[in-house]
Parts: sequence; structure tokens; C-alpha cells
Amino acid sequence: MAAVTYLEAIRQAIWEEMERDSRVFVLGEDVAIYGGAFKVTEGFIHKFGMERVVDTPISEMAIASAAYGASLTGLRPVAEFQFMDFISSAHSQIVQILAKSNWRWGAPAPLVLRGPSGGGVSGGPFHSQNPEMFYVHTPGLKVIAPATARDAKGLMKSAIRDNNPVLFFEHKFLYRRVKEELPQEDYTIEIGKARVHREGRDLSVITYGAMLYTAQEAADLLAKEDIQLEIIDLRTLLPLDREAIRRTTEKTNRVLVLHEDTKTGGIAGEIAAIINEEAFDALDAPIARIAALDAPVPFSPPLEKAFLPQVGDVVREARRLVKY
Amino acid sequence: MPTRKSESSPSAPEVKQPHTNGSKAANAPAVKRPQPPIGKNPWGIPDWRLEQPPFHIESDWSGEEYRYKVVGDTNTPVPPLRPSKYLSKEQTLEIYRYMIINRQMEAALESMYKQSKVIGGLYLSLGQEATSVASAYALDRDDWLGPMIRNQGSMVVRGYEPSSAMMQYMAKGTSPTKGRDSGSHYGDPKKLNVIAPISHLGDSIGVLSGVALGARLQGREIACLAYIGDGGQSTGPTYEGFNFAAVRKLGVVLVVEHNSWAYSTPVELQFACKDLADRAIGYGVPGVIVDGTDANQVYDATHEAVERAHRGEGASIIEAKLMRMKGHAMHDAAVYVPSAVKEYWQRRDPIVRMEQYLKETGWMTEAQMKEVHAEVQRYMDQEREQAEAAPMPSPEEAGTDVYFDNGVDIPVKYGEVRVKQSNVGRKLSESSAPGHYK
Ligand SMILES: Cc1ncc(C[n+]2csc(CCOP(=O)(O)OP(=O)(O)O)c2C)c(N)n1
Ligand SMILES: [Mg+2]
Repeated sequence: MAAVTYLEAIRQAIWEEMERDSRVFVLGEDVAIYGGAFKVTEGFIHKFGMERVVDTPISEMAIASAAYGASLTGLRPVAEFQFMDFISSAHSQIVQILAKSNWRWGAPAPLVLRGPSGGGVSGGPFHSQNPEMFYVHTPGLKVIAPATARDAKGLMKSAIRDNNPVLFFEHKFLYRRVKEELPQEDYTIEIGKARVHREGRDLSVITYGAMLYTAQEAADLLAKEDIQLEIIDLRTLLPLDREAIRRTTEKTNRVLVLHEDTKTGGIAGEIAAIINEEAFDALDAPIARIAALDAPVPFSPPLEKAFLPQVGDVVREARRLVKY
Repeated sequence: MPTRKSESSPSAPEVKQPHTNGSKAANAPAVKRPQPPIGKNPWGIPDWRLEQPPFHIESDWSGEEYRYKVVGDTNTPVPPLRPSKYLSKEQTLEIYRYMIINRQMEAALESMYKQSKVIGGLYLSLGQEATSVASAYALDRDDWLGPMIRNQGSMVVRGYEPSSAMMQYMAKGTSPTKGRDSGSHYGDPKKLNVIAPISHLGDSIGVLSGVALGARLQGREIACLAYIGDGGQSTGPTYEGFNFAAVRKLGVVLVVEHNSWAYSTPVELQFACKDLADRAIGYGVPGVIVDGTDANQVYDATHEAVERAHRGEGASIIEAKLMRMKGHAMHDAAVYVPSAVKEYWQRRDPIVRMEQYLKETGWMTEAQMKEVHAEVQRYMDQEREQAEAAPMPSPEEAGTDVYFDNGVDIPVKYGEVRVKQSNVGRKLSESSAPGHYK
């Protein structure tokens, strides 16, 4: 069985859900005959028809609101933002209309808003952002950011089957860079559950998205010094898996939170607060945060490299914490 | 995270079925009356009005202060209503009664506000009853309504009892939103097909485009009636939401309530065109101008737009010209409105104009009209009594229902999704095309 890329895993998930459930349809900019800027919906229109693969005007507010409107009629739209950076244009619709819908007037909104986020591809300040925390701060939404092909597929299926508005942040750096064999059968991965990516005894690195691989490289290097990193892949950012965070803290007693999003207001602060509430006594060292600089995402490769957390940062902080 | 339990779902109190005497009614045929000719504005937009207010507002320096002054003649005579092409006598009388309900319901709310029973602000639609009621009256049961704060009358036509609005304004636990949202921010996706408005102006338009799209996927062409104000239409979501409907020929009927003011801002400072229906040309949809105090014009124009939507021919714009007769909300005495303008529109009270029409047609005597007012008053007293007696919400409800239960199946509203042409046997093949970034 051939290995499948992160991108193909997402394509398979949406395709299979559309085959399984005629209520599922996609909409977005250039998603139909062109198949999307990253080709996630390539070929979909021929299989599912123009009614279920809908090209929209360049109108993010309309995409979010129309997806919501269609969900009110019992459909399960999967809307693409060409880049997740453009989700800011629909911010008001998402946080005001969608997120409050069930609570406010008992109108559930089963829909997915998805698209590529993240840096590392010299996309510059408008094609590389990690805007997930705006939405993690919004009750009523669910926020997913998978790191592996297997999780991307299983979580996308769960997102489509979920009865609530789900924001699905794909990582464009990973689209064609990571690959793995996927189960043959239909499978889902539960929303709200983190995953132990690597067992270790000395220090926990809690992370998500493309930074999983930065953590992994650091763990390989540190293993040579007999420092055993445990890596936790959050996978879902809202709701956060508090239990997994507590468990790993109690196991290794040292925590480093790593993310590609900027530091101030990033999820590391929230995780530190959770550890403070749930496992303060288990700590043998202060919680460390490694995140992007508090700056816009720069375009030029040397600048972007300076902006994004690097393997060396993780190695350095890990050594410090273990010695603490 | 709090999850909604299906058994304790916060469904609205049982509401009566939406009104069904709209455009598809098998009622008595319309009474044919001679139609005065329909004019056109400079851009060729049909203007159904029988008069055009020959005045406008300008900012003025008095020597000491800025204020708004009126330029032109405000003393022109009031024309009769334009006879309806479609309404039967029975339907006209029903619209008349709904307008009185609309007005008395707001009078009751105003009285409750003055007794400090209303929590927060109160937004009234005095003078706008014909637009709310007659437009909503043109919808069928399967159509949708996207009201704004001043469309309480539309919601009554759709099937809500006035006590719903009253409980909303008093933040009662048995109000449609169980005290979670204020005033007119309530709706029902299941039976009445009413979108609960959000404050952000223009946001319901794109939602209704999506509703129409969803219905189309299920094989139905429906009409989705959205309202927007002369101020609210300046927002971006208005453009994006309506353009989407225009492009996809979705049956969104946008009633632009040109009531001359947006909070304290006159239309002269809101947009540069004279008629907002002109925007229809840019969207590529039909537009008309009607007198928003003439229920017949409002009904006929909406009926035609709704029929168009049902035929799958797409969206329409109806600009209703009228006046907000009170302040923005109760706290606002609207002293910035020149009194001559208020008086001009007072003479064009939509209910008084309708009564004049009913007299002229011989459809009602003055005594019968008095009896309608009295009957509605009795009904409103009951509604008020019931609403005032309702309990406040229990504190535990603040954080429940943030999410909907995943164990509950959400049914399609109109039927199974059907696709005309597609290659169903096609298999997913790996994408080989380059993506936007490597
Ligand atoms: C996007 C947005 N900005 C500001 C407001 C505050 N606001 C509420 S109503 C209103 C005036 C609306 O005027 P108009 O659209 O003409 O409607 P009317 O009150 O005349 O019925 C304003 C400024 C809002 N609700 N939404
Ligand atoms: Mg206005």
C-alpha cells in the first residue's frame, strides 16, 4: 500500500465524506474546475456535479455566511479559504454569527471552514499566518490543526460529521512534505484528543502543526545525549485536551510548549495556565515557551528562518530545563 | 465543554404556523382597479410611488451651531394608496390587522419600557408597519425571512405572537432565546424559517443567500426576504452577501428600508446616489422603488420579486422610501430631525392611509375599523399579561448549549440533495498539478 501525503489525506477525507453523505458539499474560490489553489478539490466537480462544488466570488464574508445559511437547511458545507490568512475578512461572520448560533437561537451549524495556514514557504505576511488563536478564543467553535496525514484525514472526517462549526487549519508546509500509509477502512479521529507522538521520560514538548517535526528533530538529537523527549501533538486546539496535558506533565515533570504562532496570546500561555491549575505540584522546572517572534511573518528566507522556531531553539531550551 | 442535550433543547415556545395567505394563496382574486402609470428614475429604475418628496436635508450653520435643515417643500398633498394588482379584499384586511398588531405591540412595549420592565434598549418601527407587514405577507411557508431590529411586524406575520417580542425585551427565560439575546434577536430555523438577526448590519443577507443555495441543492427554489436599512446597506457584508445571491441567481429579495435616518445620520451623508435601488443595476438584478407607507405597493413589489425567486430567476431589490418616526431607540428623542420632515411623514401614516383606502373601496366602515383596533387591543393585553408573568431565566442556562450534541441527526429541510450531471463512477486520483506554493 502506497504512502499518502497530508494533502491527499485531506482530499480523500472530503471525497469519501461526499460519497458517503450527499448533504456534504464544498464551496470556495477557484475550487470547482480549477480544483483549488492547492488542488485539494481537484476533480471533485466531475464526480459530484456543479451543484456540490461551488465556485464563489472573492467574498470571504459571503463564503462563511452562505456556508452557514446552507447548514441551516440541513446541509454540511465544507468551505475553503484559499489561504487561512483571508479568514480575517470573514472574522465577524465566524465569531458573531456562526459561533453563537446554537447557544443564541438553537440553530446548530454543522459546517467546516478549512484552508492552508502556516509558514516556511516564503509566503510573506499575508500567506503564512497562523490565525488559529482568534478562534480558540471564541466559544462555540471547534479548532483543529493536524500534523500528520493520518490525523488530517481522520480529523477532517470528524469535522464534517460534527454538528458544530469547525475551523480546520491545514499546514501548507506539510501538504506534500509528509507522507504515511493510511488505514484502508473508513476511520475517524476524535476531536478534542491529543496524541502522544513520542514517548519520553525527561521533558514534554507540547506542540501542534508543522512544529511537530521540529520537535521530532530536536528529540532525535537530544536522544544522543540521553535526553528523552516526550512529544504531545495537540491536534485539536479547541477544545483542548486538558487531561493529556496533565498526564504528560505528571509523567516528565518538565514542559516546553512549542508553536509556530506568535508568542503573545499563543496557545502556550493557555497551556501554562492549565498546568498551573491541574498539575502545578508536578513541575520540577518552570514551563518554557518557544514560539514565533511577536512580529508579522517575513517574506525573505533568512528573515522567515529568524522568525520561526528552529530545532536549535528546542535543543537549547530542553537542555536548560532538564538541568534546572 | 457544555453540550446541548436533545431532551432539554432550548426550543422556542410552540408558535403557530406561519401565515400562508401569501403569494400562493388560493384566495379570492384581486380586485382589478385602474393602475396609475409607473414612473422611472433617471437610471430607468421603475418608481411606483405616486409622489416624490420634493425636499432634502442639508447640514447648516446657524451662526452658533450646526444642525440639519430641510430644503424644499414639505407641504405637498398626500396621495391615495396605489391599488394593489394582486391583493384580494380578505388579504388586504388581514394586512390591515397585522399593521395594527404591529403598532399596538410596540405601543405596549413602549409602555413597558416606561415602567422599566424592558431590559436594555427598545427599538420601534412607528411609521414602518406597511413595509414590514406587507413584504413578509408575500412569503410562502417554505420561504425565509431575515428581519432587522424594526421588523417586529414581519415576525408576527411569520407566526410569532407579540408575547415573544415582549418576553425578549424583558429578558425572560421563556423568550425564544431563553434570555440569551435581546429584543428582536430571535428566530426559528425549523418551523417559521426566520433568521435570528445579529446586530452587525447586513450580515443576514449572505446567510439568506446560503439558505437559498441550500434549498436549491435540495431541488427547491425559495424566496429569502432580507431587510437592510439606508445605513446598514453601506456595510461590506451587504455587498458580498447580495452579490453572491445575484451571481448565483438565488432568490434573495432585499428590501432596502430607506427610512431617511441611520441613528442620527441622514441619507445625504450615507451614500451619494439618490435612490438605493440604483444599486440593482450594478448587481445585475431588477430593482424597484416603492412608497414604504403604502402597503399595496410594498406587497405587489415583494410579491413579484418572490414569484421571480420561486421561478429560479434570482434576486431582486426593492427600495421602500419611508421615515423612522421615532428616535433610533427609546433613549433618542431625534431632536436632530427637522420638525417639518416629521410632520410631512406624520401625514403619511401607513395605517391612516390604509384606512382611507378601505373607506374608498367600501371594504370597511369606520365602525368596523374601530372594532379591529379594539379586538387587537384585547389580544395585546392578554399577550402582555402573559409575557409579564413569565419567569426570568435560571442562571445555569448562561453557559449551556454552546455546542450542539453530536448524537442528534440534523435533517435536511427540503429533501435529498440531487445533482443533474456528474460522473458518479469517477475515482479519486492523486493530484499531480502544482499547488500555489511548493
Ligand atoms: C456593523 C454595525 N455597525 C454599527 C452598528 C450600530 N448601529 C445599530 S443600528 C444603527 C443605525 C442603522 O441605521 P439603518 O440601517 O438606516 O436602520 P434604521 O435604524 O434606520 O432602521 C447603527 C449605527 C451595527 N449594529 N452594526
Ligand atoms: Mg435608516
